[in-house]
Amino acid sequence: MAESNTVVIIGGGFSGLTAAVEAAEAEKDVVIIEKNPYLGGRVAQLNKYFWKLCPPNCGLEIQFKRIKNNARVKIYTLAEVQDIKGEEGNLDVAVKVNPRYVNEKCVACDACAQACPSYRDNTFNFGMDKTKAAYLPFNQAFPMQYVIDRNSCAPNCKACADACKYNAIDLGMKSETINIKAGAVIMAMGWNPYDASKIDNLSFGKVQNVITNMMMERLSAPNGPTQGKIVRPSDGKEVKNIAFVQCAGSRDENHLPFCSYICCLASLKQAMYVREQYPDSKARIFYIDLRTPGLYEHRFLKKAMDDPDITLTKGKVAGINEDPETKDVIVEVEDIFSGSKTEMKFDMVVLATGMEPTTKTSQTIKNVSYTSDGFVDIGAKKGIYPVGTLKNPVDVVRSAQDATSAVIKGIQSLRRI
Amino acid sequence: MAEQVISPDLKFVEDVIASGGGDLKKCYQCATCTVVCNVTPDNKPFPRKEMIYAQWGMKDKLISNPDIWLCHQCSDCTAYCPRGAKPGEVLGAVRKLAIQHYSPTPLSKMVGDPKYLLILFAIPVLLFLSYIVPKGYLDVSAIPRGEDGGIVYSKFMPVFPQIDVTFGAAAFFAAVCFVLGIKRYWTDMSSGVGAQGNIADSIKTTISEILAHKRFEKCNVTKDRKIAHLLVFYAFVGLAITTTWAIVYLYGFHYDSPYPLYDPLKLLGNASALALLYGITLVTGNRLKNAEKAGKGSYFDWLFITVIYAIVVTGILSELLRLANIATLAYPTYFAHLVFVFFLFAYAPFSKMAHMVYRATAMVFARHTNRES
Amino acid sequence: MEKKYGVYICKGCGIGEGINVEKLANNVKGMVCKTHDILCSPEGINLIKEDMKNEGVNAITIAACSPRVKTEEFDFPGALIERVNLREFVVWSHEPNNEETQSLAEDYLLMGIEKIKKGDLPEPNILQDLSSTILVIGGGVSGMNAAIEAANAGYKVVLVEKEAQLGGFANRLYKKIPTGEYFNKPLIVDTDIDKLIKEVESHPDIKVYKSSKIEKTEGQPGLYDVTVSTNGGSETIKIGAIVLATGWKPYDATKLDYLGYGKSQNVVTNIEFEEIAKKGNGKILRPSDGKEAKKVAFIQCAGQRDSNHLPYCSSMCCATSLKQARYVRQNNKDAVAMVLYKDIRTPGRLELYYKEAQNDPGVMLTKAEVKGVSDAGNGNLFVEAENTLLGEKIKLEADMVVLATGMIPTTREPQEYLDGLALAGTKGDEAKAKYIEETPKPEFILNLSYRQGPEIPSLEGAYGFADSNFICFPYETRRTGIYAAGGVRRPMDMSEAQDDAAGAAFKAIQCIDHVSRGVAVHPRAWDITFPDPLLIRCTSCKRCTEECPFGAIDEDEKGTPFYKINRCRRCGTCMGACPERIVSFKDYSVDIIGSMIKTIESPDEETIRIIALVCENDAYPALDTAALQRKKIDSSVRFIPLRCLGGMNLVWIADALSRGLDGVLLLGCKFGENYQCHFVKGSELANYRFGKVGETLNKLQLEAERVQLMQVAIAEYDKLPDMINEYVERVKEIGPNPFKGF
Repeated sequence: MAESNTVVIIGGGFSGLTAAVEAAEAEKDVVIIEKNPYLGGRVAQLNKYFWKLCPPNCGLEIQFKRIKNNARVKIYTLAEVQDIKGEEGNLDVAVKVNPRYVNEKCVACDACAQACPSYRDNTFNFGMDKTKAAYLPFNQAFPMQYVIDRNSCAPNCKACADACKYNAIDLGMKSETINIKAGAVIMAMGWNPYDASKIDNLSFGKVQNVITNMMMERLSAPNGPTQGKIVRPSDGKEVKNIAFVQCAGSRDENHLPFCSYICCLASLKQAMYVREQYPDSKARIFYIDLRTPGLYEHRFLKKAMDDPDITLTKGKVAGINEDPETKDVIVEVEDIFSGSKTEMKFDMVVLATGMEPTTKTSQTIKNVSYTSDGFVDIGAKKGIYPVGTLKNPVDVVRSAQDATSAVIKGIQSLRRI
Repeated sequence: MAEQVISPDLKFVEDVIASGGGDLKKCYQCATCTVVCNVTPDNKPFPRKEMIYAQWGMKDKLISNPDIWLCHQCSDCTAYCPRGAKPGEVLGAVRKLAIQHYSPTPLSKMVGDPKYLLILFAIPVLLFLSYIVPKGYLDVSAIPRGEDGGIVYSKFMPVFPQIDVTFGAAAFFAAVCFVLGIKRYWTDMSSGVGAQGNIADSIKTTISEILAHKRFEKCNVTKDRKIAHLLVFYAFVGLAITTTWAIVYLYGFHYDSPYPLYDPLKLLGNASALALLYGITLVTGNRLKNAEKAGKGSYFDWLFITVIYAIVVTGILSELLRLANIATLAYPTYFAHLVFVFFLFAYAPFSKMAHMVYRATAMVFARHTNRES
Repeated sequence: MEKKYGVYICKGCGIGEGINVEKLANNVKGMVCKTHDILCSPEGINLIKEDMKNEGVNAITIAACSPRVKTEEFDFPGALIERVNLREFVVWSHEPNNEETQSLAEDYLLMGIEKIKKGDLPEPNILQDLSSTILVIGGGVSGMNAAIEAANAGYKVVLVEKEAQLGGFANRLYKKIPTGEYFNKPLIVDTDIDKLIKEVESHPDIKVYKSSKIEKTEGQPGLYDVTVSTNGGSETIKIGAIVLATGWKPYDATKLDYLGYGKSQNVVTNIEFEEIAKKGNGKILRPSDGKEAKKVAFIQCAGQRDSNHLPYCSSMCCATSLKQARYVRQNNKDAVAMVLYKDIRTPGRLELYYKEAQNDPGVMLTKAEVKGVSDAGNGNLFVEAENTLLGEKIKLEADMVVLATGMIPTTREPQEYLDGLALAGTKGDEAKAKYIEETPKPEFILNLSYRQGPEIPSLEGAYGFADSNFICFPYETRRTGIYAAGGVRRPMDMSEAQDDAAGAAFKAIQCIDHVSRGVAVHPRAWDITFPDPLLIRCTSCKRCTEECPFGAIDEDEKGTPFYKINRCRRCGTCMGACPERIVSFKDYSVDIIGSMIKTIESPDEETIRIIALVCENDAYPALDTAALQRKKIDSSVRFIPLRCLGGMNLVWIADALSRGLDGVLLLGCKFGENYQCHFVKGSELANYRFGKVGETLNKLQLEAERVQLMQVAIAEYDKLPDMINEYVERVKEIGPNPFKGF
């Protein structure tokens, strides 16, 4: 048997969480290493899931409850794996734990934030609003614990520490490196939205009312920058006429050569957000192929097609400009079936940007090999198992499925040596 | 709507691939190309539809299509193509096949295929050798000199009949091929399409557009092509004027070459040559610089560029060597110059050179049929 | 357990400022009651621990924050603990220092104390002679992978395959699509199915039954008795958990005569095309005359994405046809493969496969709506299509046509039969008998001897697939201990099926582990309580056996229920269903909740008091979140969490109203086709029961509006306070309950 009964799970997004609770409930000790100050990853940022249109926090709530009731799960937030040494059954994982400046005595009373004089860009909302430098990542965050962004603090300010009645703030906290013994490691570091500003012809960052699909999730969410009201960035106008640009970076060898899988369904879903919020609105989706493979997925497409105010147009948008007067967005596209190249005007345009595996930009774990497009090679080393979007762009269902399947591999690793 | 019978022509697909459209089959019809193209008309834009026709080998839809010539190969499409299918290069390949299609002599195939390169060169080489070998001019010292003892190329290769008859015949042959080709092309293009307006007006506008090189301004990725192509274009115009002028001198005034360097004809000729050298160098430089985004170009293209390069280099060298009186080098260089010029003229209808004729025709047609306004 | 009570009230987080804690503590009579400034601080925790040690306190009421936070701090093993949510439910959501707020805090505290008085520390119910053997049904790629994964994780496996040999569909394939990189790599590779079969058959921990079927599955997780019949003989095996990997069948192509199937021999399905390629060892010889096919048309979505046939997408056919186009081209450089698609669906990294497979001079693709296939003479065919990229209406000649037909799960036929039977049953015994007589009975798979039927129940909108309704929990079925994998669960390709099989095998292992510890399986995976019905009072009304979402309760001929605890998920739906109130858990029963409700009294005849029974998975966290944002809720409402609204017993409503409370609000999760209930049907069943509330109200001559059910999602914390307040306003308009004070 392995020297350790521990499975280290890198990443506390949906894949990592699933692997963690599943393994813990099979009586394995689990350590989650999460880079953010909260668990839930990308899923926590979503307003609703496709095709069910249910809130992701519902599933997260169950996962968190499973963790709260399971002493085998240990969590490090604001932590990153620096190195893995050793072999299957006897791995040594070096983890750098960054300071939160708030300890577990925090009760989430908000006094620190109220006292804090400084602001920071709210990364959870993709910079669409600001939070205090002492902040709670979002209102259903787990752990329910504040965090201090020291880079945004005013010099020598300790207003938060002074305001805290619970002795929960320690501005002198330092980062530390810890080593964890593990029998197996599950890599679940997920994905980043592709940097849309790299797609120069789609004008993200140049035209104000062009946003990304992940920003659209935040804009639609009740805990987003507008409390769920879908309005455009330039002037806060209600979005009544919206376009979705599919494959913004995906299926494009100049950007992401693979299909990001989720974007067609995500845009259909977001079109429904707008249609639900503003019954007199119109949405148009520009696509190359509509990729809604499966049962429910295809039914979801059908549902969108049955709405006369959602139009699906075959043709990829390849140029975006701004009407300087109205700040409306002008897209250039060939409507393939009408056979003409046209310009169309919208209140706001959402770029269906794709998923870039986090291992595209950061390959700190040297024990595994990577594909040319930055995914972890599936035939990875025994004892270290990549899951979910580190292997292939997938949705939440498939991430959970894959994470579950990785646990059995982990168990085999613990048993084999 | 009439039902259209599709019979894929695999041979044509393979031809397009072999002619420089090697990435053709990667296209997945997203239409990025048509959107980023600034020279296409908005109605039934190119090159997306050309890509699928080419993928299915629908030769008829492509060869007689004026759109393939309205494309100026800016390569914006190629740069933005998400699949690396290089529509610009594919259309270039289709244009090559169109040139071959409308100039149906065995030469058309030979010009497009590196296998035949030696044979193509052998023709002028043997022809010109046949003039000089009997006279023993392979021995440089045997070549008569001018009155001042300087090198006079017309004494090596007399203007009449050798030069003028040979090139006159080549030009005539090329012209006939062009006329026949264009005639067939026009017939194909106009089948089922109603012409509108005054053809003379269409021609006039097209010519003024070509003279101004307006289309090139619309290119993004290959912005720098305009100046290069403009230089080459006007250098050729200058050289054409120079040649005409020389004919006037020779047959009108019986004034024989070589002409002094201060002669306006000489000034124009030399200026044109330098412009051509500079222009073609820019063309080459741009192509190499943009290769990553716009594609490397085909054999067909590079043959044409190389020949122009060779003409201008051998031309300038011939003059310099003549002035420097280095006979052993001057005569062979001049000989080579003649060979390259012959190559350019005689094979014009089958080479990339033909693009000027077909493109001009397609532009006139497009205007005439309101495809473009 | 002899209980020694301790009540601890926290003054932190604004509790001390919002209410009079001392006054609150004075309500606690006859037990230890202490307050602390910060109860979750080490000093606060120590206070409790000291009392446990010194005073023997073992039944602890903690009146502080929501039970959703500070779980690690307030964890005292061996003690019965009740958390009273003073912070979120009182001070954060109500006006401070107000009589009504104080009264609210008092009610919550009294309810908490009442609960701990009635409740008991649970002990797990661990059944004896448990088996940890995993049964895998189906010996295709999914089943074999599930078997190997489970066996390699240290479990004994029994694999049952219907056919005489293992392999399933993979046996019929010529080649498969590789995984990994595609550029400059082979695009078709051997399936290696023989190696896999060998691995399974030679594995010491896998016992394979071929040409076998499941005759009967009795029992429950850990204690299944599965009867396997092989060639007339049968054997009963003890099984712990089951992986259902019976795969799929191709759609019946004879229904696709408009595409020429059945009319021309040269129109074949994608599966038949594999067999042709396999038989010719790569050569494609067409069926009619054995000539080599040089022009093959592939019609995608043949009978798919089509409401007349299969209204879904089988997701693997696009890549399959691209692979098969390779077959056409590999030995014949003059051949063309023409693919007519609706959309090319090669999601994820399969896009790279698409690109490489398409990059072949003879592979031609166009989007098209295929209208029909007709005879073109000499065995050739015309394919007619509209709205193509080549023209609005086109006609292609092909010497062979391949129909990309879709997948039908093997579970579909039994489900349709059983659904039909259930429907006939609702029309009476005669209709049922007629149905049984007239309808051909399909082959069943599991043959469960469950009261709720022999197979996995059908899931609305799943077209017979044994899928989960949950995005987050893909392996959840309504039959505990039975996990579906591969093509029977969802349309998927072979490589996904491999991973899926591993996941299902793991869930089976996990289930075995849980029942061995007497713990519930998902989602209450920590719960050692279990329903313990007082059967002597049972009237055999069968409501519990009918309503249990997981089919956990069987019954004898008289209708007396038998609880199969290892199938139970502890949602308490049976408790809510039981009119005799006999179903109890140690810490959760009709009596406990009823007693809590009874502690609530209106201070006078004018003051409104409403109880809200709240789903603890969705509505409760939504209320917490609203409180975090300091949203105000009318102070007449007292929230009582339920494990699931399915546990709501009508007697509580009747009691509450007859005792003078002014309204009852039920907050459950969303139900219907896209239900969000983690126990499948809880809020829907509550709604069904709620439909009967009218009788009670009529009897009491009370207004129907006093009782309301709301569907609330966890993310509706922004709307929920207003929804509740509006309801309270309506109750106030109706006026106080005339029974008040009786």
